[in-house]
Amino acid sequence: MFPKRIYAAWFGIHFVLITAVCFAGLFSLIAEGATILPSALQPYARKAEVAAAWVLGKQTTASSPVRRGIATYLHAAGIQAGYTFFAPNVPGYDRLTLELFYDDGRVERESPRLRSKAAGLRLDSLLDRLAEQSYEPIREAIVKRLAFSVWREYPDVKKIHAVFGSVTPPDIAEFERGKPETFQPIFSFDFSLREGHGEGQ
Amino acid sequence: MAKGNELSDKSETGSLFALRSFLDFLFPSENDRWLSVLRIGLGLQTVVYALFLRSDWHYLFASTGKGLIGREVGEAITTFDSPLIPKLGWLIALGRSVNISEEAVLSVAWACLLSAGCFLLLGLFCRPAAIIAWFLHLCAAESGGLLAYGADNFMTTALFYLMLSPLPDSYSFDQWVAKTKPRNPQLLGFWRRVLQVHLCFVYFIGGLAKCLGNGWWDGSNLWRSLIRPPFNLVPPEILVRFKYTLPALGISICLLEVSYPIFIWMKKTRRVWLISILAMHAAIGLLIGLYLFALVMIVLNLAAFGANSRIESGFLSRRKRTGAFVQISSRADT
Repeated sequence: MFPKRIYAAWFGIHFVLITAVCFAGLFSLIAEGATILPSALQPYARKAEVAAAWVLGKQTTASSPVRRGIATYLHAAGIQAGYTFFAPNVPGYDRLTLELFYDDGRVERESPRLRSKAAGLRLDSLLDRLAEQSYEPIREAIVKRLAFSVWREYPDVKKIHAVFGSVTPPDIAEFERGKPETFQPIFSFDFSLREGHGEGQ
Repeated sequence: MAKGNELSDKSETGSLFALRSFLDFLFPSENDRWLSVLRIGLGLQTVVYALFLRSDWHYLFASTGKGLIGREVGEAITTFDSPLIPKLGWLIALGRSVNISEEAVLSVAWACLLSAGCFLLLGLFCRPAAIIAWFLHLCAAESGGLLAYGADNFMTTALFYLMLSPLPDSYSFDQWVAKTKPRNPQLLGFWRRVLQVHLCFVYFIGGLAKCLGNGWWDGSNLWRSLIRPPFNLVPPEILVRFKYTLPALGISICLLEVSYPIFIWMKKTRRVWLISILAMHAAIGLLIGLYLFALVMIVLNLAAFGANSRIESGFLSRRKRTGAFVQISSRADT
């Protein structure tokens, strides 16, 4: 016989963690005002999100063994993120355009890319994350690396102007009227390149 | 006093009944057909994952200066969560200590992942293959960090459950060669229950979050998801022709997902819900190109609710039997 009580206890803990992760994500959406729920619920949703985060040990210090233990388990089981894909609404998408400046005055436009389409999906996932406020501190470092990956293919380039922005596609009625998508720049960086090193400016 | 005793006896009987029902629910007797579906499906998923990333594997996971953004960024974010989470950097450091280059370690990791997928497909060395596939995929997903998406999480979860499940199953090559004794049916039932309950969480939360967005009620979210690159496989001119069906489809997706935890358990509605969910994932794969995501969700659904349909009869009939037993014994007490 196998120890049923141990299995049952694991089941309970496992699904409490999944519930906490899922509801933390859901409450976060409500607290940000991203849903159709009235704004009066936002403070309560924020409190509920904090409570769910507490279950996950996120109120303790980053070096806390409890927090690290829970995080390790969540990642190992693939349950560290909730299941709010394409919800509550599907946002526009983001685009990174790199303008490549040559010594002779030529300017070319290029985007970072991967060979296979399946991996290309991952690049879009990266760009979506860059638009999020929480990734603001590492934006420049990431864009610099993406610019550098393009520069390796065009070593004659002297300067790269990177523009990251959000694209809002037309809705059906607008599309039928012929309205194109609109591009709203969010941030830009200039990188001058010399001897294999990129420098953000 | 006698009444008090009677009340406490009843509440005790009630809690015992609840506990027994819960344990009956958690440990139904199952055969291992669902596990065969999960193993073969995840073997295929792992092989497809490895082959899809074949040409970009080094570019995605090489260190700074060689790859797209460098493995270090994803690994730093993961390490901030916990330094104990596996990552490709561990394997590369291990390789470096015995003078093996980063490129060689990455190639070996890819080849091992592909081999583990093939072994799972055949059912050869099932448990080690499942553990290796889970570990290497987790390393890649964590080192890729910022480049990961939903399909990676589901694949990690599925491989995590597979490696803990009572392998090998009776359709595996291992079983054919070694002829091991049959696994405990209740243990098989327990792991299937875990998978089933997990899927109920996935769809309920996903459906609820969609219900809270106005774009799913008027079809605009479907339009947006179908025209945004890189998901824009269907030309928008064709989509416009079906514009009146988009709101109905959007609402159907919300209702299908949010009601999944109810109707998938009912014998009369299970087949309809399962077929609808499978059709939805097939459509996601074909219309927006999320092939890996579609495949892993189809495999999980087939293993959880499609492999054989003896779940409800097992659980409910046992519950009825247990209920009858409690009733008789409480009558005997009084």
